[in-house]
Amino acid sequence: MEINLQNVSMTYPNGNQALKGLNLDLRSPGLIGLLGPNGAGKSTFLKLLAGALIPTSGSIQADGYPLSQAGRRLKAHLGYLPQDFGLFDELTVVQFLDYMAALKDLKKPKTAVWEAIHAVNLTEKAKTRISSLSGGQRQRTGIAQALLGNPPFLILDEPTVGLDPGERIHFRSLFSQEAANRLVLLSTHIIEDVRSVCSRLIVIDHGSILFDGTPDLLIRSQSGRPHTSPGQNTALEDAYLSLLSEEAML
Amino acid sequence: MKALRLFSLELGRLLQSRTTWLTALLTILSPAAGLAVCQPAAADTMLSAYLANPTLAGSAAGGILFGLLTVWEQDRACRSRVDTLIYTAVSPLDMALIRLAALAAAALLTMAAAALAWHPFIRKLSGSVFSETDYILSFVVFMGPALFLAILAASSAYHLAGRLDLSLVIFCAFAGLSLTVWKDNWQLCWLNPCVWALSDDFSNFRIFRSVAYMRLTWLTALSGVWILSWLCIRQWGRGLLASLACHSRQICRPIFAFFLLFCSCAAYIFQPMIDHSNPDLSASAFYELPVLEGVSCSGRTASVYPNTNAGTVSGTASYFFQNISGQTQIAAFGINPGYTVSSVKANGTDTPFTVSDYQEYNEAMLTATIPPDETAELVIEYSGFPKENRALASQQGSAEISSKYICLANADLAPRLMNVANTGLIPATIEITLPAHMTAIPFSTAQAEIVSRHDGGTATWRYQGTGAGGILYAGDYIRQDINAGGITVQLYYGRKHQAVMESAHAAESVRAVVDYCTEHYGPLSFSSGSTLKLIQSRVIGGGYAADGASLLDEADFTFANLNDSGKGAAPGEVMIHELVHQWWGLANMFPPTANTDPWSAEGLTVYTTYRIIKELYGTDYAIEHYVKQWQQEADCYYLNFYVRNPQYLEALPENKRLKISNRLAHVRQYCEMPLKILKAETLVGGETAMDEILHCLFTRELDWTFPYLTYQDFLDACQLTEEDLHDV
Repeated sequence: MEINLQNVSMTYPNGNQALKGLNLDLRSPGLIGLLGPNGAGKSTFLKLLAGALIPTSGSIQADGYPLSQAGRRLKAHLGYLPQDFGLFDELTVVQFLDYMAALKDLKKPKTAVWEAIHAVNLTEKAKTRISSLSGGQRQRTGIAQALLGNPPFLILDEPTVGLDPGERIHFRSLFSQEAANRLVLLSTHIIEDVRSVCSRLIVIDHGSILFDGTPDLLIRSQSGRPHTSPGQNTALEDAYLSLLSEEAML
Repeated sequence: MKALRLFSLELGRLLQSRTTWLTALLTILSPAAGLAVCQPAAADTMLSAYLANPTLAGSAAGGILFGLLTVWEQDRACRSRVDTLIYTAVSPLDMALIRLAALAAAALLTMAAAALAWHPFIRKLSGSVFSETDYILSFVVFMGPALFLAILAASSAYHLAGRLDLSLVIFCAFAGLSLTVWKDNWQLCWLNPCVWALSDDFSNFRIFRSVAYMRLTWLTALSGVWILSWLCIRQWGRGLLASLACHSRQICRPIFAFFLLFCSCAAYIFQPMIDHSNPDLSASAFYELPVLEGVSCSGRTASVYPNTNAGTVSGTASYFFQNISGQTQIAAFGINPGYTVSSVKANGTDTPFTVSDYQEYNEAMLTATIPPDETAELVIEYSGFPKENRALASQQGSAEISSKYICLANADLAPRLMNVANTGLIPATIEITLPAHMTAIPFSTAQAEIVSRHDGGTATWRYQGTGAGGILYAGDYIRQDINAGGITVQLYYGRKHQAVMESAHAAESVRAVVDYCTEHYGPLSFSSGSTLKLIQSRVIGGGYAADGASLLDEADFTFANLNDSGKGAAPGEVMIHELVHQWWGLANMFPPTANTDPWSAEGLTVYTTYRIIKELYGTDYAIEHYVKQWQQEADCYYLNFYVRNPQYLEALPENKRLKISNRLAHVRQYCEMPLKILKAETLVGGETAMDEILHCLFTRELDWTFPYLTYQDFLDACQLTEEDLHDV
């Protein structure tokens, strides 16, 4: 799977410009971390990749085809977990995943559903109504629907929000395994999530790409520069904060 | 395959929602409102009360409920933010289609459940006149489509508005229009169809067709609107117009939507049910046509072929003219506006003809050229689906043509000659080919006879009469000949009504009434020679009489009416009451005042019924079951709070005031007035004196400028004043 963005900009009807002239190449396999402060344009970027939005200028190509033409094909190859999502409370976990499997037109839906349930550790809650699930269990159901059918392209927007530390570690490891043979794009605020598993890091702020490279490269590029939040941060956090403060000064 | 799987899953999800179950439950219960509070079908037939009203109430309530459910469900995906997951996998447009299909299926299941749940109750309430066909059609035509139309309307509103609150306002306004401004417009009342009556004993072909036509018109219109709104579904972060422009790139979509809208407009404009008669009911252009000079009509024939499956008529009418003017003349005929004239031949050759756009009293004017020959035979071939008068658009059903019942009046039967002198005297021979089980009954002294039977189960009937028009009834009738009052009364009633008529001793009642009333008040003015036809008709909201025939509305002989203790102590006595109306109550006998006027046809009819019962069963029985009951009711009336304090009645809301005042008026007409007549009887010197007075009143010479029998006429004839009868 290869996604290519050329000079992509996105301005909402209310005039808010969320992305400015983005140029990127995303290739599988790999786990790409997407970092940026609130309002940086991460979710807009992910929505563009998921086909939920169309850029106001520039082009996005998926495997050489314009995304606008490859919409249906991309949907079939995409697992997407938005930052802000809901579930049908009246359904059980299995029913909901079965519903999503039908939407995705999976060939062996039952198998895919149970694989996803096992992957997110929801086997015991599989036949429980979603209305009775905890916040973390709902988040896991959301992740499960993204994993349905082993899609070659996974977009995960803040997937570990609401999960306890143990679950976060589990999912970090899961995403790392999933990235072995597919493209996984992981957007998060939690730098710890990306440090250990991401092979590539993209930092976005104010709609522009500030950094695109390996975590080590970010650390090296920011070493010796002052940052705005001194304390007990890791090297990657320091480098990230330094990058943002440099951008803020500019 | 994917669509089917998605549909079944979406339907399954919908059926797991409590809101759906609540909506379905309330919809299933909503026909109960038609039995108690919401009764748009005003006729007194059993099926009007116990089938039409429940299904019409279910239509309005169910439609609104499913509209609300649709908006709620459409907004739910957005409100719960599950749409962000769904639209990643499938386009919002595809999902909207699936959701519409699932809601429609839920509505269908609800309607089927309602039909099953109400079946035993409605069957029991309707009694022997219950019809499975009418039952199914009432749910399928009256109730079911309202749910689907409401889903389409609400879904369109949500697609366009994109907001729960605004969508609800739009949908409620649209439903409100149907329930208020459009409620009497048979084509516009999409939620609550104009159904004023369902026949118990005959067919309801016309009214079901009319409602089905209205539903199809709206289905086409709302489908067009829905497709347009569907194209407006916001996608890719775009607004309404940008989404519309983007989704309309597949040009066949908007074209199809506009095609549907165009079809619905065409269906609205070119509807086949109602004519465009001049709404001015005083218009008489067709009755003021100048009579042709030197032209007379020596006879006419017509061969009429009703198609009972399609509800259409085709026919050939011939007119025999003497034309001594030596010039071509233009004959004018009234013809049903729904008919098409395919050819007019004069003496075997085609002659020019036109049909006017102007219509009056359910007739268009056909004009055809009569050649200058001394004798001319004009042959007109016509066919079509008869239209009904637009003045009665909200009370359709009079031009019924079905395998159970046919009513063809005047220009519905054959073109009615209008501009020749003495049209009332033209000898006419009419032949009509009917299904073999039907009996043809001309509404006149004429007797129809079978002249030939055909393969395929039809028979041709022939009768002869006079005049340019005429009314023909046909149906599966039972005829009973009853000798009474020196004449033979031919009582015709529907076979389906046989049990009710027999249990009400119809024949004995007819005999008793005709004997008694003829002896005491005089023979009926419209009985001709030695026969009188009493024909039970499909519900028409009243009756009428003409030369040798009188119509009895089926609503007067329903099980409920025959058991109305206000009219008689037993079904047979109510039958007598209804038959007495042949003397007291037909045509212009009583002034057309408000229905709350205590002086009406009912006072004299109830009094006469009491007199007949007294003669049949003795004084004690009559006093016990009539006079004492009137007195009891009248006493209650005078003690009634609103009678003693009318200012409080005036202060009530209109609907409550009307309900109470109508109930009070009923007591005044059915109890107080008979008591007054009874008191008058005592004051004038007894029954014989009163009979003489009533005889004089019945046979009085009419002043045609005001032919009515007023209360003052009655008092004058009794030489009494209003005060004399004040305390009863």
